[in-house]
Amino acid sequence: MKEIMQKMRAEAARVLSSGEVDLVLGWEKGDLWWQSYPVFIENEKKAELLTWDLFCVPNLAKYLLEEIWHKKRVALFFKGCDALGFNQLMQDKRVDREKAFIFAVPCSGLVDPQKVERAGLHQGLLRVERLGDELTFVYKDREKKTAAPWFYYDKCLTCRYPNPVVFDFMLGEPVPVNPRERFTAVKELEGQNVDARFQYWQRQFSRCIRCFACRNVCPACSCRECIFDLTSPRWLGKATELSENQFYHITRAFHMAGRCVDCGECARVCPVQIPLTSLNRKLIKDIDELYGPYDAGVDPQKVPPLVTFNPGDPAAFLESKGV
Amino acid sequence: MQEIQKARLPQLWEYLAKKAPLYLPQQEDGVINFAPWQEGARVKLESLNTVLPPKSIVFPQWETYLHFTQKARELKLTPTKEPEGSYILFGVRPCDVAGITVLDRVFLQDPVDVFYESRRRCTIISLACNEPDISCFCSAFGLEPGFAPAADIMLWDGDKFLLWQSLTEKGETLTHSLTDLLEVPTPAETESVQCLRETAATVQEQKWGLDGVKERAKDMFNAPIWDSLYRRCLGCGICTYLCPTCHCFDIGDFSRGERGERFRCWDSCMYKDFTLMASGENPRPTQKERVRQRFMHKLSYFPAQHGLYGCVGCGRCVRKCPVNIDITQVIKEAGGSISCA
Amino acid sequence: MSVAAKTQDFEPLIVAFCCNWCSYAGADLAGTGRMSYPANIRVIRVPCSSRVSPNFILRAFQRGADGVVVAGCHPGDCHYVSGNYHARRRFSMLRRFLEFVGIEAERLEVHWISASEGSRFAQVMQDITDKIRVLGPNRKLRDSR
Repeated sequence: MKEIMQKMRAEAARVLSSGEVDLVLGWEKGDLWWQSYPVFIENEKKAELLTWDLFCVPNLAKYLLEEIWHKKRVALFFKGCDALGFNQLMQDKRVDREKAFIFAVPCSGLVDPQKVERAGLHQGLLRVERLGDELTFVYKDREKKTAAPWFYYDKCLTCRYPNPVVFDFMLGEPVPVNPRERFTAVKELEGQNVDARFQYWQRQFSRCIRCFACRNVCPACSCRECIFDLTSPRWLGKATELSENQFYHITRAFHMAGRCVDCGECARVCPVQIPLTSLNRKLIKDIDELYGPYDAGVDPQKVPPLVTFNPGDPAAFLESKGV
Repeated sequence: MQEIQKARLPQLWEYLAKKAPLYLPQQEDGVINFAPWQEGARVKLESLNTVLPPKSIVFPQWETYLHFTQKARELKLTPTKEPEGSYILFGVRPCDVAGITVLDRVFLQDPVDVFYESRRRCTIISLACNEPDISCFCSAFGLEPGFAPAADIMLWDGDKFLLWQSLTEKGETLTHSLTDLLEVPTPAETESVQCLRETAATVQEQKWGLDGVKERAKDMFNAPIWDSLYRRCLGCGICTYLCPTCHCFDIGDFSRGERGERFRCWDSCMYKDFTLMASGENPRPTQKERVRQRFMHKLSYFPAQHGLYGCVGCGRCVRKCPVNIDITQVIKEAGGSISCA
Repeated sequence: MSVAAKTQDFEPLIVAFCCNWCSYAGADLAGTGRMSYPANIRVIRVPCSSRVSPNFILRAFQRGADGVVVAGCHPGDCHYVSGNYHARRRFSMLRRFLEFVGIEAERLEVHWISASEGSRFAQVMQDITDKIRVLGPNRKLRDSR
């Protein structure tokens, strides 16, 4: 990772000094071990701020929506999931491919700080490093080595596109693609009866505090005006009453149907751990079953399945019971 | 000073829950929050901070305070009954107790918020931290991880038992009713409290010096730090909703035909509609003004108004911000100094 | 009270979103033909079945509907050429999705009813009313206030 980080800094300095771009979007290291956050670099001398480590999880693509960058050419770094999000923004005609210079960073998985905490490895932790498939947790006076996948985000373990599908310049070698089955949780829920499922989701939705982090982080949520913010008509009341929460989550997920790139950012940022990926993946699974396999964000030229049709489509609403 | 064996805690909770509703940190789907105790509850005392602070109990995310009906031209208003205040909050960490005292400054000042006042009659049983997290910084604000002066009863974790000290009359009365469950600790155990307090204070590696921070923060309105902080902000409400001291709320109506209710609910200065006016004018037009507002309020405006910081260093926003916007960076920018122990 | 007695007392409220060009005309025909269908149905006229957003359906359930029907032109007959084809995908997905979050799929029905199918309109409305009556009131999505 250090090698890629050096390349990142060098390339960033190069494209800034040559005037190819006005801005570089990357990640910067914070004071604490899990903090790697988006940074905006306009001066080549600041390229040294860039970092690439096991916590560079935020997707940078959505920052392109900010008006102040519209007239500028921006270089940015994409992991596989970020690239899918960018393509979705392209498909939605919200970003201009010409204005972005994309560095691809193949990614074999990032570390979930909550998993580190649950394993009790967080106290006194200074940093985490990776060599091959092994993580090293570095403390003041000791080190601990362990197998990396134990600590990867669930979304990384099921990642199907670790190598960016869109880029101008590749940093590093493509990594092997070896995803775990992603529909396990969905199938498990499908196997339950309708009341058990209701109880499950009721429990999840009732925890929602409506912080809107899932919406705000989502690369497919790019409406200029969101239905949930409208005051007239007020579709979503501000009280976190259960039916309002249900309305929010059903609508949010359904609006993503056929456009969700399954980057898992919504579930990552949720402070109360609502399993939002299961909602998204149910819709992905149904689209695959009813209208043929479709991976949002892979090809921005394709038409998303819910804004098109085929005269021979099944009338799945006639099913006596939804699957 | 008394003590209770940890093995007897379920007995204690069962007893307390019979006296009054008992809220304590419980785990559901991996998320730890304060919830009413019931038989078989998955109590998690050992975790440091709950996801939501106990603010969510004394100042719930939404509550109805008025019902209304309208028939013909007659409007009838029925205020909601004041909420029950005789409940017990068990296992509140000292920073969160301090958070409640910050809320007191807002809601118990004239005009007193009667709903809050009623809920504030609760009994708070605080549990000292033995080992604060790396993202905790309560000591920066003169708080002590091992002691909560505003609690009714203070507990210290002595491994197999909890040391028990009542701090108020209310706490004393409750303690007296528990003679069957509480024991007298040995002198060595009593002494260990001092040790626990000291260790907790020193484990917090970073020693903060906040001299002059609130004064300097006042002049930070045009500081360049906001430009670098706001750009990555997603504009979500995690930091404000998870904050034990954030207290801004909105008022809304829910109506169905001839009847309806007026409710109050949390609101967040991170949202763009927070300051949006009916005319369409927004005095905080971009995320920059919103981010600045949050930190200025905590470090400058609130201290100027109430004499104490609007932050208690619980670290929730530091841990949960999806893009790691970190209040400690702002404190440093305002001249807060850090030395490592 | 026995379940049977409860079911008998229960009068379901059913919202029917009917496309202006086919199903609403079908309802008209049922009316002019003096065919009766249950008074439990509340018809809302929409320009096209694809005008119906999932929000409409959720809101109906929130505010007291026990069942929702979306009715539009038969495939190939859409006044706007392809609206009902889009609706077919949308509501096929939505129905499965509601089932996934624990809402009985039977509460949401989609039917193609043409302007000439007055008796079919009456029959569809009678059938769903009977089904929802057995299913009981919607408590899962209803606002508690």
